[in-house]
Amino acid sequence: MGKTLFEKIWESHIVVEKQNEPALIYIDRHLVHEVTSPQAFDGLRMNNRQVRRPDLTIATMDHNVPTSDRTLPILDQTSAVQIKTLENNCKDFGIKLFDINSPNQGIVHVIGPQLGITLPGSTIVCGDSHTSTHGAFGALALGIGTSEVEHVLASQTLWLEKPKTFEVRVEGKRNNPHAVTAKDIILSIIKNIGTAGGTGTVIEYRGEGITDLSMDQRMTICNMSIEGGARAGLIAPDQKTFDYLRDREYTPKNYETLVDSWKENLKTDSDAIFDKQFILNINDIAPQVSWGTNPGMTCDVDEPIPSPDEFSNGDVNQKKGAEKALEYMDLKSGTMIEDITIDRVFIGSCTNARLEDLIESSKIVQGQKVASNVHAMVVPGSQMVKKQAEEMGLDKIFIDANFEWREAGCSMCLGMNPDILSPGERCASTSNRNFEGRQGNGGRTHLVSPVMAAAAAINGHFVDVRKLDLN
Amino acid sequence: MKGNIIKYARDNIDTDVIIPGQYLKVHDYAELATHAMEGLDPDFHSKVKEGDFILSGKNFGCGSSREHAPIALSHSGVKAILALSFARIFYRNSVDGAFLLPIEIDQDAYDGISEGDEIDIDVSKNEIKNITKNQTYKMKPFSEIIGKIIAAGGLFKYKPDQD
Repeated sequence: MGKTLFEKIWESHIVVEKQNEPALIYIDRHLVHEVTSPQAFDGLRMNNRQVRRPDLTIATMDHNVPTSDRTLPILDQTSAVQIKTLENNCKDFGIKLFDINSPNQGIVHVIGPQLGITLPGSTIVCGDSHTSTHGAFGALALGIGTSEVEHVLASQTLWLEKPKTFEVRVEGKRNNPHAVTAKDIILSIIKNIGTAGGTGTVIEYRGEGITDLSMDQRMTICNMSIEGGARAGLIAPDQKTFDYLRDREYTPKNYETLVDSWKENLKTDSDAIFDKQFILNINDIAPQVSWGTNPGMTCDVDEPIPSPDEFSNGDVNQKKGAEKALEYMDLKSGTMIEDITIDRVFIGSCTNARLEDLIESSKIVQGQKVASNVHAMVVPGSQMVKKQAEEMGLDKIFIDANFEWREAGCSMCLGMNPDILSPGERCASTSNRNFEGRQGNGGRTHLVSPVMAAAAAINGHFVDVRKLDLN
Repeated sequence: MKGNIIKYARDNIDTDVIIPGQYLKVHDYAELATHAMEGLDPDFHSKVKEGDFILSGKNFGCGSSREHAPIALSHSGVKAILALSFARIFYRNSVDGAFLLPIEIDQDAYDGISEGDEIDIDVSKNEIKNITKNQTYKMKPFSEIIGKIIAAGGLFKYKPDQD
């Protein structure tokens, strides 16, 4: 019987595997940031351990860095301490760090691919659940906790239970690919499989609807695998993948030889069998807007908000969850999505703050002004994305429209730095989680694509971007 | 292991409500514990007692990889979470640092156990006794790896069988 892409990567990284035992898996790349690493480094020191492979470990600071003027000191003392701690840890253990002033600084999942650190067929871990992003390059990329971060620092390996395999096949072609984006595809998938639909599995996204996507778009898809409960998501590498990674700052010297071997090996065999399958046809899908407090609580932009009964299909807890979500979001069943007015717009995060996201959303913003009741901001995913966007004049387009144009970081995706919602504020956000309080205590998050967020900023409420001329 | 139940009868309790992002900068575990469940239940800190168990629905601990979530609960006194299912990173974080036991239960246990019930968990028999109601339920056995990490007392104490 043939093997899936996941199984091939898994098997090529086994250090030890015995019957009824966990497998010890070799880790090719370890990405480190300031929030989930301090206790891990403390643990190393306490046990007199070194970092096993500092050359395979790369660090940056993204979660709590301010996105305002970086020539000014960091006012939040606890953030300043955490940032300083990472600097000290990287110095003490000989780890490459892209610090707050580095041109390579940015969200860890944006910079890995941009620098050619993320490679097909490799195993990548990071103390962050959105590590799944790197799966877009055909890597097995897992989010891990701080104990596991320490284990990888010390040994470059992890004890893992072998996940099951889950094929998500995306068929068809979008009628309007500028209006219906990768974000809408992944939100549709999560809406259908549920937030626990992928639990214990590695998803492989396949089909024409996936191979059609650019690398930036594929990263959006894999990024949100964790929101469907999966351990990781991946996409088989193809010519787009190989072209993207060529000539990056850290692309390996023997790149063409590697490409030849990837072409040969990194695909699911035609007779391989997945443990689970879901098929989505995207011919007629609409832009998606989340209305509740988890990413599965999402509907089409031209639909009304469902009632808890419609949403829950008879499941008591689902119904209760929907009722609580509507209360928290201060929304009523039956309200049309386009009638929801917003206070804030956040274009940013590891889900949707790459160059293509900014290019697409700038087309909507060009020559327009943000609605007077809306405070809108763009936080590029990395300093490199920011620079590229500025070279294209995108910063001017956003600033002229009254968007704030910020420095790179996680920012309002998770409310660890000063960029937060006030209680009751409603935000159209290109991020990945609409959990209660995620963007600030009492804040209300609607997950949307960058073009949907941009259109909401201009209009002060959600609009169906299929009605706009985006070509 | 005996304890009393704090029940949250809902699915998808995420790590952002277990410990909101603003506290991920807090390194003092006792202080972190004062903010446990703050996003969901502001009264949690005043009502939780040493040795309590939390009972909840599906996909407990979904979201972020922050190990601060099981740490905050553990340092509040919580010894085990009983849930219909768990998100994987939270589940693994709970046992890696030997913070608390993540116990998968079935619908009978979920429906049968109420807030305040006194529960006795016997991992060796995969059994949960409801002392208050004199009922017994099955728990889902730990997988080999998880059982071994728990028995060892955490990821760093785990050693594979030598043979």
